[in-house]
Amino acid sequence: MQATGYGLRATGAVATLLTLALFAAPATAAEAPKTVSFKRDIAPILVKNCFACHGPTDPKGDYQLHTFAALKKAGESETASVVTGKPDDSYLYQLISSSDSAERMPKEADPLPKDQVALVKLWIEQGAKFDGGDAQALLTTMLPRKIHAPPPEKYRLPVAITAVAFAPEGKELAVGGYHEITLWNVEKGELLRRIKNVEERVYALAYQPGGKLLVAAGGTPGVSGEVSLYDPEKGALVRTLVTSADCAFGAAFSPDGKQVASCGADRSVRFFDTASGKQQRLIEDHADWVLGIAWNHAGTQVASASRDKSAKLFDVKTGEALVSYTGHSETVYCTAFGADDKLVYSGGADKKVHAWNVSDGKQSTTMSAGGEVFRLIVDDKQIWACGSDKAIHQFVVGDPKKEARAFKGHTDYIYALAFHAASHRLASGSYDGEVRIWNADDGKQLLVFRAAPGYEPPQTAKK
Amino acid sequence: MRTVAQIFAAWCVVGVVAVADAADPVRIEVMPKVFKLDSPERDVHLIVTGYAANGDAVDLTRDAMFASSNHEVVAVENGVAVPRGNGKAVVVVTVGGQHAEASIEVAHFERREPVSFRYGTLVALTKQGCNQGACHGSPSGKGGFRLSLRAYDPVLDTETLVRETFNRRVNTVEPETSLLLRKPLMELAHGGGRRITKTSASYAILRDWIAQGCQPDFDDAPHCVRLELYPRQRVLHRPAKSQQVLVLAHFSDGSVRDVTDLAQFSSSDEAVATVDEHGLVTSETRGEAAILVRYLEIMDTAYLTFLEQIEGFRWPSPPENNFVDKHVLAKLHLLQIMPADLCTDEEFVRRVYLDVIGMLPTIGETASFLADTSPQKRTKLIDTLLERPEYAEYWAQKWADLLRLRDAKMSAAGVRKFHDWLVRAVATNMPYDRFARALLTADGHTYQNPPANYYRAAADTLDCTETTSQLFLGMRIQCAKCHNHPFERWTQDNYYGIGAFFNRVQRKKVNTDEMIVWVSRSGEVTQPRTGRQMQPWLPLAGDAKIAADADRRQALVDWLVRADNPFFARVEVNRLWGYVMGRGIVDPVDDFRDSNPPSSVELLDALAADFIAHGFDRKHTLRTVLNSRTYQLSSRTGPLNQDDQKYFSHARTRLIPAEPLLDAICEVTGLPEKYAGLPEGSRATQLPSPDMGCDFLKVFGQPARETACQCERSSDSNLSQALQMINGPLIHGKVRSEHNRFRQLMAEGKNDEEIVRQLYLAALCRQPSAAELRAALGHVTGSGDRVRGLEDVCWALLNANEFLFQH
Repeated sequence: MQATGYGLRATGAVATLLTLALFAAPATAAEAPKTVSFKRDIAPILVKNCFACHGPTDPKGDYQLHTFAALKKAGESETASVVTGKPDDSYLYQLISSSDSAERMPKEADPLPKDQVALVKLWIEQGAKFDGGDAQALLTTMLPRKIHAPPPEKYRLPVAITAVAFAPEGKELAVGGYHEITLWNVEKGELLRRIKNVEERVYALAYQPGGKLLVAAGGTPGVSGEVSLYDPEKGALVRTLVTSADCAFGAAFSPDGKQVASCGADRSVRFFDTASGKQQRLIEDHADWVLGIAWNHAGTQVASASRDKSAKLFDVKTGEALVSYTGHSETVYCTAFGADDKLVYSGGADKKVHAWNVSDGKQSTTMSAGGEVFRLIVDDKQIWACGSDKAIHQFVVGDPKKEARAFKGHTDYIYALAFHAASHRLASGSYDGEVRIWNADDGKQLLVFRAAPGYEPPQTAKK
Repeated sequence: MRTVAQIFAAWCVVGVVAVADAADPVRIEVMPKVFKLDSPERDVHLIVTGYAANGDAVDLTRDAMFASSNHEVVAVENGVAVPRGNGKAVVVVTVGGQHAEASIEVAHFERREPVSFRYGTLVALTKQGCNQGACHGSPSGKGGFRLSLRAYDPVLDTETLVRETFNRRVNTVEPETSLLLRKPLMELAHGGGRRITKTSASYAILRDWIAQGCQPDFDDAPHCVRLELYPRQRVLHRPAKSQQVLVLAHFSDGSVRDVTDLAQFSSSDEAVATVDEHGLVTSETRGEAAILVRYLEIMDTAYLTFLEQIEGFRWPSPPENNFVDKHVLAKLHLLQIMPADLCTDEEFVRRVYLDVIGMLPTIGETASFLADTSPQKRTKLIDTLLERPEYAEYWAQKWADLLRLRDAKMSAAGVRKFHDWLVRAVATNMPYDRFARALLTADGHTYQNPPANYYRAAADTLDCTETTSQLFLGMRIQCAKCHNHPFERWTQDNYYGIGAFFNRVQRKKVNTDEMIVWVSRSGEVTQPRTGRQMQPWLPLAGDAKIAADADRRQALVDWLVRADNPFFARVEVNRLWGYVMGRGIVDPVDDFRDSNPPSSVELLDALAADFIAHGFDRKHTLRTVLNSRTYQLSSRTGPLNQDDQKYFSHARTRLIPAEPLLDAICEVTGLPEKYAGLPEGSRATQLPSPDMGCDFLKVFGQPARETACQCERSSDSNLSQALQMINGPLIHGKVRSEHNRFRQLMAEGKNDEEIVRQLYLAALCRQPSAAELRAALGHVTGSGDRVRGLEDVCWALLNANEFLFQH
């Protein structure tokens, strides 16, 4: 009786699985999975539904499943979460399949879809095997990258511009869009190309020094994030360096272009080898989102900015945290190195740019920027900061108390800023979808356009 | 267009079953009778009331059938009239064989109105609880997402929702995928759990607002000016036990919108009635509940009374001594709560001494009262006590608490002078309006004019604002310092508007002990959030017009003491009532607010009117209350009144406050305490400040006088008190003392029975019962040591609840 029932249930689950596979992945539908893969099938379910309460920090019920090793450990219930081959004895399965809504997981939410519950069951029945490599690695790093939805053909409303980058020769500007990166002519503001297969939001863009790649950090808030390399000429994805369960906020090439440093909502700072895409180092030193990352000119250090109200300095070779700067007492959004690599500049919600010493983390000076500082550019003579007060503030290196001028024109928050050293131009992007090109020295505005393909502003502005 | 007759005909076929359970009304009424829907986004709930032959009302909203005369104009879905096109329609309501009509006009059906940020988005977030104090409304927010508490700061909220962290929370391209929606739907993990459903009005509003590009409101967008509730007041008799409340918001452009689905509801007494998110009130037991309705910062209250026929209840028709009893008994009769019997003379003499002069009667006083055969003897005793000097001292001490007489605040000498002034004010029965004016408009040297210490204790504008509001207006306005009050109508603007009366008060120390207080001719208050300069503002009256160089405090007092001031007299009579009854008509006594209604509006109003009519004579009001039958009821309860906590059906037993309790212990043992700086034989109730007190007083709740809140005096029992009484040094010392009462009696040659009787009379104002006497004497004899035995009896009496409690 028992055995028959078991067989029937298993058959049912496989049938469900077949159907699921047919709908979910038409590209590979020809071959139905015979065995459940933890990495491919189970990890995405856990990350999406369980991570927020049973993740790396402050786990509910003292139970965590952010890594495979943690998943196997019982929580405060002291009941085995997974008993190989016996789903009904596995607390994890009991809780997701319970008919009692008071005890069922996820708590206070709809039950998991039946096919997903069946997958977990089948996975346990098949031996609860782990095919993810390192059992200590975060499940979020195992998630398969999905092909992203296409951008809107025409934008009904402009979207906030959260990233801009000048192409090396300074003629083209890459702009973060909605599920796309758009490329624009800097002289006329004409749309040149659209790169698809991009995360919903793009928070950082950078061209490879001496190379042909464009790196993008982005994500779908609360859902996923990734750092990917694109070929801006062909408009194609080259490689995804990492995926995560929430947005990646920053990405930057090393000065020689051989490495990428990234950061994101998972509190991480990561280093990758550009050529192979291999992750070289993972640093989890911040206590909250890491919002910005910058290399020094020597390529030996990076400075990070975090919602944990600190900026930190890391040694690239060793991954060692060299300095933790806590002078902002508010969220830090961005960092940049001075030309001689002796000072780090950081901007934050305290509406200031702070300059502090690489050597000892002591504050050197601060500059008032009117509003929250989201982005920062520093060259050998000047500093530009933009943010919530809708202006770009220009300061002179060495005479920080004096603001040289404010570049005015934007009518909303400025989220993005880029500099082209050879032509001395700045590009800025704002909440309302506008991109403006400026002469970096005198603040003269050279061009303004709305980076929203197909967007038609309302004919008559209704009062 | 179908005719009404056709609609009736249709019902005859299909509509009969639904009304089978409804009461049998002789007529029905629908509200609103006339309504205009001037946008396709609006709708209106139709509230149906049935009236029985005796006038009793019943809510038939959920039983009624609705039919529209023109479905192209108005459709009715689940009792809600929904627009379908421009024009006029009549909705015919039928229930229990009765009919009523509502005229609904639809206009501007073609108009596509953007969602208002304030009255759409913020109202929805507030309704779902997103910005409550425990969630994103807390000062540091939750999960990195902070909203202003109950949307008091729309400017900050729009930045947070739309622009913070790079526009993360909203998605104008695919609105349904916005974090702002997916989190509270629990499609994505949310620490606050599920707060919204896709079918709710709030979800549609948030989604549409995002889809429209997260627009803020225009500067001149209409704003809500008031709410209209239906019903505002209603008495429901069982079996009727529920009532739907309709909430209409009136806007500055004259439009009226039904916001029932968006308003927030709360009940003042969840034990009596609960209210759900749709405004449906359901009674749990008989009683009264105020249903507070909130729509952003605009509030109003509906008062519902639920009555029930209680088995075995027969109204005993007790006599009324005065108007107090009229109102109290009327309410008890209505709610079918049995009034207790009159207390005994023994209980009365103890109670009235403790309440009026803070002392136990001496054995002689008790004996002479008990022996008095005059029917007027209680009234006579009340009159006598109100003239005693101890009355002035005891009641001055209550005010000294509220006015924070402490050495650290106004120097030891300053405290003495202020205390003397307070005692004199009570002794001479200074009218309360003059008392308030003396304090609030005080100027000069604190030694020469002690009331100026008011501004010494309240050392800055904020303290003056909060203290004055709490003492004289019964308003706990502290919350509004940083944000609009979360449970009250008072806003941050109001707080600083009251502050504008006080910010010109200047203070300067003339030496280490003395301060001089004066008022400067200029100086304005700035509201810290808006940066706006505030005009002096009077609650419910608005901005005050005051000559530029006048002392604004005079204008405040002029307004306070007006006969039509809704706060001043009520707060004081309620405070007096609370002192002698153990619970305010509004309770806590200094927390007047819509969500904390009086247990009897009529009683409070009558006391206040009588107080004003008698020239703010506090002694008169006390005399009135003390002479009422209500005050003189027994504390013994029965099944028909034991659950009553707020309608004064019986006397409320409560721990005797610290100072009278210590004095009572001294009186029973015959051993006064010594207080530094006070003459021999002084009582605790004469202490000008807690600086001269002792640990015993602190343990029993003597306040440190840090705040002007009556709540600072604790009336709770605690373990330290038990330890003090059981084996604390004070009790131990007095029971063991060679000079205590029973040892003196022994020395006088009294026998055990005489001594036990004396101890009972001293501690409990009564003779021991035969059983008590037997037990006490048995213990003394049985213990083998007469002195130890009597010590035990004395100790036991001091530890008896009957001694420790006022009853």
